Formats: sequence, structure tokens, C-alpha cells
Amino acid sequence: MVEIQGGIYTPLYSLDSQKITVKPFSMDVYPVTNADFLAFVKKYPDWKKSTAKRLYADSNYLRHWASDTEFPQYLSNSPVVNVSWFAAKRYCECEGKRLATTAEWELAAKASPTSKDGSRDTAFRQWLIQVLSKPSGNATPAVGLTPRNYYGVYDLHGLVWEWTYDFNSALTTGESRGNSTLDNSLFCGGGSFASKDVSNYPAFMRFAIRSSVKARYCVPNLGFRCVR
Amino acid sequence: MTTKTTRVIAMALLIGLLLVSCKSSVSENIGEKQSKECCTTSADGSTAAKLPDESVYNLSSVWKTQKGDSVPFSSFHGEVTVAAMVFTHCASACPRIVADIQRIERELQPQERGKVRFLLISMDPERDTPERMQEFAGQFQLNDHWTLISSNEDATMEMANILGVRVKKLSDGGFDHSNTIHVISPSGMIIHQQQGLAVDPAETLAALRGLLKAA
Repeated sequence: MVEIQGGIYTPLYSLDSQKITVKPFSMDVYPVTNADFLAFVKKYPDWKKSTAKRLYADSNYLRHWASDTEFPQYLSNSPVVNVSWFAAKRYCECEGKRLATTAEWELAAKASPTSKDGSRDTAFRQWLIQVLSKPSGNATPAVGLTPRNYYGVYDLHGLVWEWTYDFNSALTTGESRGNSTLDNSLFCGGGSFASKDVSNYPAFMRFAIRSSVKARYCVPNLGFRCVR
Repeated sequence: MTTKTTRVIAMALLIGLLLVSCKSSVSENIGEKQSKECCTTSADGSTAAKLPDESVYNLSSVWKTQKGDSVPFSSFHGEVTVAAMVFTHCASACPRIVADIQRIERELQPQERGKVRFLLISMDPERDTPERMQEFAGQFQLNDHWTLISSNEDATMEMANILGVRVKKLSDGGFDHSNTIHVISPSGMIIHQQQGLAVDPAETLAALRGLLKAA
């Protein structure tokens, strides 16, 4: 784990008054890998592919594993995917850690290879958009191959999406039920899409992912890491 | 980008959640109170053995009722339940949700009514003490078929995720949240969700009556 300095996180949709103060915390250097997760399910059989309760993980749970204890060897050092929020949360608890809040995760992810805040670094932003526009492909690459960020963390961008503790606080407004218009109830008065940074496409992508998944979903390019 | 991911994003942009709130927000140090206990996933063995895998009564968290009793969530199994997540300091949506459930209650025949539990689950563990919930129950003249429960932050987060309710804490102590009424079978299956406020309860009633017939 490495130390992430505290700071101020401004949510994607926000007014100047809505800043979140994040206290310093430690973060895993890499996402949790298949090998890591295998050690976990061996220790806690409740979370094996064949025994995990459907309440906590949908039928895609560990879909890329051949059995309770087997996955293709070449994925050993790749991030574990097809894991639900419940499984990710439990894994971190069993390590004496926890899932990062969205604010913590975003603060850590703002760092470029050379600075705590890469949000105005054109080259870094270009790179972010470039990695996002690449399809995931079938095999997830190993961890640690993307550039190391300022804090010493790898793979926050360009490998897999990651669960956050309070992902379910990303609320999108509706289009049909109760004929709500797109912005009247969530962002009322606040200028609906008064995003601080409308060109921050990757942040919108993450917001969209967080607002569309449910905690029991297991998705082939959604993994996690822990913090403390 | 896999097709599944594309679909997920498309869903994000399409699926509507009706939310009612109008405040600027600052989340607090949410997440720091995450559960420290590890891997206590199953409810007490006696009920867990009989419960379906998707049953909400697999949850092992313990809740406090408006009467001050500590009850494991699993103890609610065995009865047809109409549930919603609310918070008692809520000025706009929650009174509406309660009124919507009361409307469902009124539409039931007396003999049906006696077989249904109405459960209000607090999303505000900090402020929703048993006393406060009791007060709220009095305010809305909730009868003995109604139970109000609250727990701790972590159990509340898990509950929201089990029910698929979205919750965002606001700087004034309130919450943005989905307005959802859940119909839960005696074994803990969520068989119907009524989304939104002041919705015609016909579908919800049909789901309820189906359960009551089967019970």
C-alpha cells in the first residue's frame, strides 16, 4: 500500500460549495488479482464460485474461472473481474482493509505520473481518453503495466473499472417514469449539467458506470482494490 | 469496450430513477465505518438452511425497532412484507412514500391486511433512533402492522444495495434517494418494486395478492 495525501474532491456534478474533504489514506498499489482472489476463496469458502449466494453475486460471478479454484494460468496476475460489490467489500474486510469511497478513489485517480493533480495536464488527459477508447478485449492484461502515478499507484486508468464503497450514490435522473425531465429532480436549481469540467470525459464514463451497476452485478471489466 | 459495458452505460443514461431533492451536497467521511467483521455472511443457521439463495433474509445484520428491540433482519422472514427505505427527517419524498404505502394498506381487504407487514427501513442510522421512529409512527398514525427499523451505516449501505436503492448523503444531513416500494415474499424474494411517487398501486396490489393467495 502507498500513502495518498488528503485533499479536496469536487464531485463531477457540483457547485462551488460542494467540496468533499478527503483525509489521507493508504491505497493498494495494484488491483486485486485472480491469484489474490483465489487465496481468499480458499480461506473463505462462502465466496467460492459454486457457493456464493445469489443475493450477493449474480450468475456471472467468476465466470472466467473454470471451477472454484481454477482459472487460465495467464490470468494469474491480471485483475480479478466478474466480482460483485459484496464480494469485493468482503475481500477487503478480510484483509483488514475496506473499499475506497468514490471521493477517495477519484482523488487518487486525479494524479498523473508526475503530479498529484493531472487534471490540467494535456498529455495526461489525452492518454486517459486514448486508453478509454480502446476496447477491453477478452483477456485482461496483467497489473502494473500502465504508467505508475505520482503516489506510486498503478492501473487506476486503462485496465478495469473498479468498485467504490458508495458507488450507489451516483444518481441519474429519469427519462420516462413520472415524466420527470432529465434534470429537474437531481440537480434542481444547481444548473443541471453544471459539471466543473465538461471536457472530463473519463470522469463522466466512471459516473455512468457507477450509476448503472447494481451491487450484485459481476461484469467482465469491473474489478476492485482496497484501501485503509 | 465490451458490448456489455456499452449496454451498461446506455442503461445508465436511460434508466430513470425518480429522485426528490433540491440541495447541494457534501458527503462526509462515509466509508470509514465499514464493517470490521469479516466473513460472517450467513444468517443464523436455522433459517438460512431453508432460505433461497436470493433471499434478503440471508442478511446477517441486526436492527433496532421503534420499540427499542434489537432484531436480526432475518427474523422478518415468514410474512408477506411491503418495505421501503426512508428517513424520518425527510420533508418531501418520504411522507409521500409512507402515504403511498398507506394507500396500498387501505386498498387491501381487512382479512388481507392482517397478513401483511409494513416495514420502513431507515437510511439515516445516525438520527433515526427508536424514540425518533416511534414519534414518526405516531405522526403518521401507523398501526401495529408497521415496523420501523434502523441499524448502523454499514448495514444500511448493504441493505440499500440488496434492495437496489440509491442513496446520496447531502450536506444538510438529508439524502437524495430512489423512491421505491418493495413487495417481499415470506421467504425473502423481492417480487415487485414500485418506482416513483404517487404511482397507481394496481400492480403492487396484484403482486401482494398473488403472495397472499400462495401463503
